[in-house]
Amino acid sequence: MAHDNVELADGVDHQVAMVMDLNKCIGCQTCTVACKTLWTEREGTEYMYWNNVETRPGKGYPRDWEQKGGGWTSDEHTDRSVGEIPSQEDYGEPWEFDHEGILKEGKDKTLKPEGGDPEWGPNWDEDQGDGEFPNNYYFYFPRICNHCTHPSCVEACPRKAIYKREEDGVVLVDQDRCRGYRYCVEGCPYKKVYYNAVTKRSEKCVFCYPRIEGEGPDDEVHPPACADQCTTQLRLVGYLDDRDGPIYKLVEQYEVALPLHPEYQTTPNVYYIPPTAPPQHSDDGETVDVERIPRSYLEELFGERVNDALDTIKRERAKVERGGHSELMEILQDKNPAQQYRLEVFGDD
Amino acid sequence: MTETIRTNRPLLAAGLLAGLLVASAALAPLIADARPAREIPVENVDESLTDPGADGWSDVPAATVPLASAPSDVPNADDTTVREVAIEAARSDEQLFVRLRWADPSADRSTDSPRAFADMAAIQFPVNATTQPAIAMGSRDNLVNVWQWSATATTQELLAGGIGTTTVFEQPQVATEATRTTIGEDEGWNVVFTRDLDAAADNRTQLDATTDMNVAFAFWNGENTERAGQKAVSEWYYFPFGPDDGGAPFQTILWAVAGAAIALVIAVTALSVRRAGQEGES
Repeated sequence: MAHDNVELADGVDHQVAMVMDLNKCIGCQTCTVACKTLWTEREGTEYMYWNNVETRPGKGYPRDWEQKGGGWTSDEHTDRSVGEIPSQEDYGEPWEFDHEGILKEGKDKTLKPEGGDPEWGPNWDEDQGDGEFPNNYYFYFPRICNHCTHPSCVEACPRKAIYKREEDGVVLVDQDRCRGYRYCVEGCPYKKVYYNAVTKRSEKCVFCYPRIEGEGPDDEVHPPACADQCTTQLRLVGYLDDRDGPIYKLVEQYEVALPLHPEYQTTPNVYYIPPTAPPQHSDDGETVDVERIPRSYLEELFGERVNDALDTIKRERAKVERGGHSELMEILQDKNPAQQYRLEVFGDD
Repeated sequence: MTETIRTNRPLLAAGLLAGLLVASAALAPLIADARPAREIPVENVDESLTDPGADGWSDVPAATVPLASAPSDVPNADDTTVREVAIEAARSDEQLFVRLRWADPSADRSTDSPRAFADMAAIQFPVNATTQPAIAMGSRDNLVNVWQWSATATTQELLAGGIGTTTVFEQPQVATEATRTTIGEDEGWNVVFTRDLDAAADNRTQLDATTDMNVAFAFWNGENTERAGQKAVSEWYYFPFGPDDGGAPFQTILWAVAGAAIALVIAVTALSVRRAGQEGES
């Protein structure tokens, strides 16, 4: 097996992984809609976005999820931070709009949420960001379940209803075993497990497992819908332990793809190429040699390793600008689906 | 004077002794009838008591059972709020009725949002009526049958063989009715569980048992986000389904007869002593 220096969870054969290049995200929410259409249009799931795209800096979805605890207290993975369950207001209510009345019956009113005056919802602070003109900044941040190597949601469940499956490390909630206790909801530091108040059970991103297994109507293997539908194709999907694949190279070899909030100690398997923005401007519009997105903010998200990652990307980019060749830049620009989505490398071993 | 006192003393002593014995004979059945600590009396009834407000409940004796936080690995396991419960049980020819009343000022009836948890109560029996399984959800070799009422107006019948193994029966045979009530100075719940004595299915406790039946209780306060192992529980108690059931009247008669006989013997003895004394003096 080809994963000498890749840490896999105990009892897991291979680990699915995703790399998202934040430099390519335009915040169009096509991934969000793809996921929603496929998985969360059922009763009780209206408020859920297994895939969401939030503006950073910002409060995120659910609101202030980074302040709600969860995860492990150390890399020994013995003690958990319990965490809290976000409120319905933190997620935002699934609003109803009177499309029918306005568009078909010609009602003379503004299209806005019916019944109430909401004060928060997903993407409430979209494009707000931070910083002062002319050096304000923000970037879009797509998030799904990280299918962690040390999932604290799994540890939190007293019934073992949530588990990490053996063949590819996808974290799933067994809907027959779940009794809606919501320890996983509070235990996940990324707040990517959701409670369905209709079925009285918890649900989450399933990494589109029927698609990656080729169990769809066409019997073909497909990447998860969020990746497949992405307008800028910013996601790479494959296995962390596939040493010939781009994910292994970005994560393990070049170390430019980083997990979000590594201090939560869950060892995520979704990785991000950190964003780079144009440099700052002076008041009279001149470019100055100061990074627009403060390193301190990126360190908050990705830890100190973000500095080496950004330096590596800068160095490799300069190499190409000088006319040289860079495997890293090739990978980051790859438009070959066979490389971008490597989901059939291990077959049925 | 001295003679009179001397002659009256044995009579007085005998009279006191006789009075004491008569009193003890009268009290003895009550002492003998006092329940063993873990017994929850079961009244035999002819009527249905599924309604928690039914008049018939006033004739059913109640046991007050103390509760404590269940030992559990779930977060905040020792933070529970229900301290005690009043339990009444009655059995007709066909059904068992168990009424639970406990204080819980907030009625939490919803699980309709991420942070909403409902009040709940549960009764646990051994599946095998003659055994006493591990108190915490039984064990793999000794299963428990659990009836769980939720203030969402749902009732589940569960089977468990250890912590984390709870499994729902698809067709529960347990019915519940619940009302709000006043418990002391607080508002609280008044819930009746009803089930046919005959289980008529595997892994369900037979309630027409003729031996004492172990039973335990659990309570969750939804307002305090209590769920799973974060619950207030009792120790094992038992319903006296065994052959001693109904012995109390017979005991009373026996003690009364014995008491009267002893009193008679003492009175006769005292009289004899007195007579002998008088004869000696004369």
